[in-house]
Amino acid sequence: MAFNVLVVDDSAVMRTMVIRTLKMSGVPIANIYQAGNGEDGLNMLHEQWVDLLLLDVNMPIMDGEEMLQHVRANPDTKDLSVIVVSTEGSEIRLANLQALGASVVRKPFTPVMLRNVIIQATGVTDVEYYGAGAASDSGSDF
Amino acid sequence: MSNTTEQALHRILAATFEELGLIVPDVELSPRQSASSLDFAVSVAFRGPVSGRLVLRASACVLPELAANMLGADQEHDQSLQQDALGELANVICGNFLPQVAGASAVFVLSAPQWQGEVANNNDNCSVKARAALGVGEGRAVAELVLFGDLSNTAEFRAIAA
Repeated sequence: MAFNVLVVDDSAVMRTMVIRTLKMSGVPIANIYQAGNGEDGLNMLHEQWVDLLLLDVNMPIMDGEEMLQHVRANPDTKDLSVIVVSTEGSEIRLANLQALGASVVRKPFTPVMLRNVIIQATGVTDVEYYGAGAASDSGSDF
Repeated sequence: MSNTTEQALHRILAATFEELGLIVPDVELSPRQSASSLDFAVSVAFRGPVSGRLVLRASACVLPELAANMLGADQEHDQSLQQDALGELANVICGNFLPQVAGASAVFVLSAPQWQGEVANNNDNCSVKARAALGVGEGRAVAELVLFGDLSNTAEFRAIAA
């Protein structure tokens, strides 16, 4: 299985960093789409089939929490795997996001950390990604 | 400002340079690094139980290495991307530092990083509540926490100022 991934972050630099880390994580990727805020992200979800959403929290126009609420309210995207990629440290906000079914990875993060959260969020096993002989951890420290 | 707060800022500054900037910094500055100029600065304003900003200053030689590591070697000479890379570092440092000093239940809103350009002096000396520095190559990077307003009535400030 190769994932179509949507990366939503208002920082072009951080989108680039997330995508680089994603590619280094070893997770099979089909297509990567990008959006600069929640509203553009929702529009992208209408246009493209996406398997995994990597979502920032603090963004202009529409923040990550509001976008996630829209995603869950839409029958077409309500079961989408979502990982919040953020520096957010508030337990209240994190609890709200997790209550909406999002996993969380804090910045900064390594490819291994991202891979593990993707496996957890999507329910796809390590073996499905890498085969039965896959190493459990590459130790890469990107 | 307590040693604990400055130690937390120092720890987060070092971890962010290492994990996001892919630079292993010198936690103890050499005399040459200490004497290097801080040529550029970027700030991230925040509001919540306390308001202020996190300022990240860096020597000119730090920026190309950051941009190359974060965005690819072909990007190291793009000044706009160098600024954005430093801004993202400041954003991550600020986002990780605030819960350390104000508690995990505190909710903060962070603004987008603001590039302050070339800086000769720090004009926030009177309100800097914490400062941490690292050596990076031949230069250095310094993070400063600046707080605004009358903060004496907030529990968070008492914790920060303890």
